[in-house]
Amino acid sequence: MTPSILLTAYLVASVLFVFSLRGLSAQHTARRGNLLGLVGMIVAIGVTFAALLWPVPDARGGSPTPASPEALGVLGAAMGVGCLVGAFVASRVAMTAMPELVAILHSFVGLAAVLVGIGSHLRAARTGEALDLAHEIEVWVGVFVGAITFTGSVVAFGKLRGTIRSKPLLLPGRHALNAALTVACVALAVLALRAGGPVATHALYAMTALASVLGVHLVMAIGGGDMPVVVSLLNSYSGWAASAAGFMLGNDALIVTGALVGSSGAILSYIMCRAMNRSIWHVVFGGFGEGAGIASGTSAGTSATGRVREIDVAGAADLLLAARSVVIVPGYGMAVAQAQHALKEVVSRLEARGTRVRFAIHPVAGRLPGHMNVLLAEADISYEIVKEMDEIQEELPKTDVVVVIGANDIVNPSALEDPSSPIYGMPVLEAWRAGKVIMLKRSLGTGYAGVDNPLCYKDNTLMLFGDAKKSVLGLLAAIDARAESAAA
Amino acid sequence: MSETETSTTPSDRKVVGIPREIHPGERRVAATPATVSRIRKLGYHVLVEKGAGDAANAPDAAFQEAGAQIVSREALWAAADVVLKVRPPLEIDGVHEADLLKEGATLIGHVWPAQNEALVRRLAARRATVLAMDAVPRISRAQKLDALSAMANVAGYRAVVEAASRFGRFLGGQTTAAGRVRPAQVLVVGAGVAGLAAIAAARSLGAVVRAFDTRPVVREQVESLGGRFIPFEFKGETGEGEGGYARQVSDAYLAAEQELLAKHCAECDIVITTALVPGKPAPKLITSGAIVGMRRGSVIVDLAAEQGGNTALTERDAVVERFGVTIVGLTDLPSRMAEQASELYAMTVYHLLEEITREGQPAIDESDEVQRAMLVLRDGELKWPPPRPEPVRAGAPTPPPPDRPRPTERPASPWPLRLGVLAACLVLAPLAAWGPPDLLQHVTVFVLACIVGWHVIWNVTPALHTPLMSVTNAISGIILVGGLVLGGGGERWGAVLALAAVAVLVASVNVAGGFLVTQRMLRMFRK
Repeated sequence: MTPSILLTAYLVASVLFVFSLRGLSAQHTARRGNLLGLVGMIVAIGVTFAALLWPVPDARGGSPTPASPEALGVLGAAMGVGCLVGAFVASRVAMTAMPELVAILHSFVGLAAVLVGIGSHLRAARTGEALDLAHEIEVWVGVFVGAITFTGSVVAFGKLRGTIRSKPLLLPGRHALNAALTVACVALAVLALRAGGPVATHALYAMTALASVLGVHLVMAIGGGDMPVVVSLLNSYSGWAASAAGFMLGNDALIVTGALVGSSGAILSYIMCRAMNRSIWHVVFGGFGEGAGIASGTSAGTSATGRVREIDVAGAADLLLAARSVVIVPGYGMAVAQAQHALKEVVSRLEARGTRVRFAIHPVAGRLPGHMNVLLAEADISYEIVKEMDEIQEELPKTDVVVVIGANDIVNPSALEDPSSPIYGMPVLEAWRAGKVIMLKRSLGTGYAGVDNPLCYKDNTLMLFGDAKKSVLGLLAAIDARAESAAA
Repeated sequence: MSETETSTTPSDRKVVGIPREIHPGERRVAATPATVSRIRKLGYHVLVEKGAGDAANAPDAAFQEAGAQIVSREALWAAADVVLKVRPPLEIDGVHEADLLKEGATLIGHVWPAQNEALVRRLAARRATVLAMDAVPRISRAQKLDALSAMANVAGYRAVVEAASRFGRFLGGQTTAAGRVRPAQVLVVGAGVAGLAAIAAARSLGAVVRAFDTRPVVREQVESLGGRFIPFEFKGETGEGEGGYARQVSDAYLAAEQELLAKHCAECDIVITTALVPGKPAPKLITSGAIVGMRRGSVIVDLAAEQGGNTALTERDAVVERFGVTIVGLTDLPSRMAEQASELYAMTVYHLLEEITREGQPAIDESDEVQRAMLVLRDGELKWPPPRPEPVRAGAPTPPPPDRPRPTERPASPWPLRLGVLAACLVLAPLAAWGPPDLLQHVTVFVLACIVGWHVIWNVTPALHTPLMSVTNAISGIILVGGLVLGGGGERWGAVLALAAVAVLVASVNVAGGFLVTQRMLRMFRK
């Protein structure tokens, strides 16, 4: 095979990836976009594998060394097993477990980048030539980013699953700790590049360990409610890690693809941060949502005077049946309770009666950007009635009933009214402007930001306590009962 | 009069006074018994002028029951630290209300400072603090203070009632033994608060409603109330101006509007016009030609009569018949529903009072955007017009809707740009000095790819963010290629191959899993 074939194939793959991302910009082209990405991937992998069978002169000028049959066998087997595992997991995972899956997949990219980096260093060291400075720097950067991505994603995975406490771990002097770890990594790099030989290899291992600790610490310092930002940030890191691997191997396909993914993740993180009125730097350097714990005490004190009005399922059903327009605000609680399917039935009943029903999605509802949209789509709810915050905000005052399901911080009036609140300034869905608000909630607990919600105490808010799914099923039964008695 | 009330009055409490409105024909009052008891809970003592609420069905006895003290006009003005009014202060029988105001007292009510300079000067002479209920800014937080919207709502409803009472037919359609009745056709011009209220009221009486507005964004609001929206396009010009209000438009634009409306007027039985442009005379949207073209017995209610009217033939404060069409130019529609209007207005005033009260004292916070906007005078010092808010930064993809608060919108700092340039220099300088050519080639590719990615991703709709993330995640599995290149480097067995194999293994989990799961997700999205 000639280098031209290889490079042309990579070019095709890169273009396919660009079109893949472009396709995802709209609903009707999204599936084609995914398909284009898959084709691009097959092209890239296929041509790389072919190049192992029929070697090409190395881009760095080396003479072609054909891959040994054993190596081919091992690599092929690894790829086969990996694909099977991936396919199995992907076809089994519940849509509510999507955040965890995405997080753990990010960690795989990080891990692969670390391994490729170390392997690339070992191979270069093996040849015994003097170390190529540029290549070594690429390796170090790649391993550094890869290790942070790897351990950071594993921690994010743990937090999303609930195996690690979602409360932020705020060590004293954590910024100093982060800085010290980073400086140590750089120092090790300088040492290794000067010394070379086995010292360099050991220094690389040590740096991998330090970067891993840094990754753990950065994500540990972030609270569970801010996971959408963290997950998309790690998505970005995994792209940069892949790009760095491309640099060390001199492979443009990797560089381009990594850069695409990296900037995609960066933009998503930026959008999320803007939606929460946070600085992106707070997330990058960890420890965001600081002060939430302290402030929750004070704000709980001020609103403890409020009175909560409760409503039962039958009363809520009556309200919904009497309403002409209903807006549903879903949150992570809906995902946890898997209430979306029952909810779909309620929506169908109401729509059949001529009620105008819409969903209002806050940009940071759930644990992933767009998480709620995916769950509602899973429940077969038309995306035409699923509105973004900006589209529906002005309609809320004209809405008869707003149903808040498992959402808390994203409908918290403190964000507008209470400058001492840690979420002050974050745009929220102004549910309280509607005629009535029915809030489905497990208990009077605080949301992930650890902030008490004055919405519960508003005059027009009615609380329907209990598991979201049970409550929605109860609503459904009550609505059907009303319909039957009306028919009889 | 109960003596107990007076005797238990704590002397150190600030006094809120509600005088009777003296404007001829004005029936509203600035407080109701319900708001009086809430005002007292804020720590005020409340005085109500005798008979203040009579016309709004709020008799003195009800005020007294709510804890107010009923007093004479003179006693009220002499004692009140805060006066709540509906209409701007005016002069009757040689006595001007502004002069009655206690020195240094606070006045809350409609003021219209732009039109009433002399009044403002007069109030300034009393060292008064004045808050204008007509100057509430249009942001979400201030909606509960928005007296104009509350009154517009009443006016819109009343306009339909006025029209129906002067229209000789049913509004709703019927099929009876005596024959079939067609529903009335109603045209509402201007879909602001009043227009929307009119649409809702006309719809609930059974009429078929169409609405016209130059701002295309209100279409959905019109349709949500069951009205049909009349679209209007004119060479890319829209009638939407600052703050969600309509704006003044060009002559050609106006002519096109008039022509379109004339056509619709000819098909309609009732026309309700509510078109206003802030600070300008109302646009003459309905020409006399359009009125001539209307069916005899039709009714026009012109809610813009106070600002000169939307029709060519409107007469202010009068009901006239022209070419067989009744044209209602009444300007006191809210006052004609005094009980309802007073209830709503009193609540907005109460909300304002609640906002400015600190420990039973009126204390205006000028750093508060809403209070600042409403403040006309402070201790006699002119505060109106308020400083203009910072303009929204240019270059935003869509201008934010008018009534969204932006509590912490900061001006763009020059630092990110400077730091960016600095960082670029720091990276590029060593590259230029020592970078090997092939590395620079890769850097070129990298930078261009970042830029492409940046532009492509911005177009993604938020609903697709999760699929996007999972597809990018699958794509970043391209690191598999790295593993293959590394592992295929000629090793037979050894550490490098083992590392490469593991890398390939995890990366392929990523690739297969990522694409499959994205496909699953996308399959679920349906229209």
